[in-house]
Amino acid sequence: MMSLYAIQLECLISIWGILILLVDAFKPIPNKRTVGYLAAGFVAVALLYSFAMQPVPDTFFHGMFRLDPFALYFKRLFLLALAAVLLMAAEFSPRIESGVAEFYALLMFCAVGMLLIASVNDFILLFVSLELVTITFYVLASYLRRQIPSLEAGTKYLILGALSSGFTVYGIAYIFGTTGTTNFDKLAEILNSQTGPPASAFIFGMLLVLTGLGFKIASVPFQVWAPDVYQGAPTPVTAFLAVGSKAAGFALLLRVLYTGLLPVSLSWNALIAVLAGATLLYGNLGAIPQHNIKRLLGYSSIGHAGYMLMGVAAVNALGAGAVLFYLGQYAFTNLCAFLAIIAVTAATGSDEIPSFSGLGKRSPILGLALFLSMMSLAGIPPLSGFFGKFQLFAAVVQRAQTDSKYYVLAAIGAVAVVISLYFYLGVGRAIYLQEAEDATPIVVSKPMRFGLVVCMVAMIGIGIFQRPLVHASIMAAKVFSLH
Amino acid sequence: MYDILFWFFSIAMLVCGLLVIANRNPVASALFLVLLFVFLAGLFVLLEAFFIAAIQVLVYAGAIMVLFLFVIMLLDIKASERRKFRALGVVGGIAVAVAFVWELVIILTRPLKPLATGGDELSGGLEQVVKPLFANYMLPFEVTALLLLVAMIGVVLLSKRELK
Repeated sequence: MMSLYAIQLECLISIWGILILLVDAFKPIPNKRTVGYLAAGFVAVALLYSFAMQPVPDTFFHGMFRLDPFALYFKRLFLLALAAVLLMAAEFSPRIESGVAEFYALLMFCAVGMLLIASVNDFILLFVSLELVTITFYVLASYLRRQIPSLEAGTKYLILGALSSGFTVYGIAYIFGTTGTTNFDKLAEILNSQTGPPASAFIFGMLLVLTGLGFKIASVPFQVWAPDVYQGAPTPVTAFLAVGSKAAGFALLLRVLYTGLLPVSLSWNALIAVLAGATLLYGNLGAIPQHNIKRLLGYSSIGHAGYMLMGVAAVNALGAGAVLFYLGQYAFTNLCAFLAIIAVTAATGSDEIPSFSGLGKRSPILGLALFLSMMSLAGIPPLSGFFGKFQLFAAVVQRAQTDSKYYVLAAIGAVAVVISLYFYLGVGRAIYLQEAEDATPIVVSKPMRFGLVVCMVAMIGIGIFQRPLVHASIMAAKVFSLH
Repeated sequence: MYDILFWFFSIAMLVCGLLVIANRNPVASALFLVLLFVFLAGLFVLLEAFFIAAIQVLVYAGAIMVLFLFVIMLLDIKASERRKFRALGVVGGIAVAVAFVWELVIILTRPLKPLATGGDELSGGLEQVVKPLFANYMLPFEVTALLLLVAMIGVVLLSKRELK
């Protein structure tokens, strides 16, 4: 029974997804928008319910599955993202030609994979749930199959995703081959009892697994897919990629590096630090010439992966907590941006940045929401993005006390922040300073308005009263034995 | 004898794998893939994993590849045309492949000291596969069911002829 308690959220969401499929097959509801709002509401209830769940110190399913504070933190994050993305999908549904109910169901199955990823404690479960997420995204990215960009996005994601899955599973084979286990706890035990460096075949396996995870979080040098896929995929899917898939990648990265491979990753953090620096520069420099907002956010998501990798590279408790905090506030910020983008593109039919000009006059709430989220992404106080970056830099500087090379990483991060101000402010300029060619007001539906207000309040609220989220992220990061 | 068979199966697999990607005719490619699966089954037999070897032949070489051939023939895919390769792509691809093989050679020529001894005794038949599958690995097994459902929905949605 305890095992069932542990996977109740996963069961709940998958049953709800299957129900949507079945009802749509036998008694279709003509208004697909209502189905989307219902689904989003249900997930919001599940999110509230998840706060009543308590962490359990044991593992479940023969050590495969954990329900620790870290897992619960990420489960809540994924449920939040799912609820917002379903709301977006409902708004977006008139533009999907067929299979709207399946679209909702696929989003939910994808979220089930993410919920499992939050609890993964074994490489086998890691691989299966990672594939559940990735394969669902192949389908979702190419959902608008009459539009060439969507098909292009799906194909690119499929080919590169399959390659990275190949790397992951090949790496897992090496790790299993040299240690005889796929369980993270047992792995840490074996590595701790070992004197001297582990076999090179083991390191090779670890690097291959990191390659696969690097693809998920879009870090350099595995980032090439991100701008194209972000631009081509249907906007709700882009939002889910930016918020859900990225958080899932970081959840796995933290779990793998800080539990199973902790003894080894302490000596390999220089690699992560180099990747972080390269990712920061690539994402922020690449975003400058972009004039499509989704593509811009694609590059921006690469840049933000760089900021969070800074926290991972620090390998200290502050860094792990900072990454968790950053992911939490990044979810609200990005969801707010994508909600606004969906509302605007539904009215204008274009996601080029010039079509956002004069948005502040056409719809004050959309203008404000997009402006605030851009400012939060840039890290301007008092918004939540500022405090997130502050913590990440603090973690790197703390690390630099013992290893002065880390000051270089902090400096690169600071340069990246300055660069990013330029293109985020460019969007802000279009919203408030440029005149619209077509000044007809944009109508915003009630559920959309609700979603936007929640995200904006969260962005400002977390920026000013950081304590609750900081507390939650530190509690979650305590599951790792870091200092 | 064991060594001879191992090298025979491994080299035959590599050759088949190369022929799968080098062939311009999709039917020939698919048939070489079948052959590759048969040799892979041979390797499993050498490891005394008889059940997996049988499944490998029955499911992959038998069912899945026959389906594959049907699709190729029904869609009437012609041999793909000769494409021009970009010099950068060819050089880059070869460089990455060489670097990877070089890395592998370094790793595998070093003494491969296992970090742990023991692990589960791997031998033979049905029981050794099924018991862990439904006991230790039950959760991933169930998740695979969801994965297959997603794949099924995806294929139907993306390949439907009529959009409505």
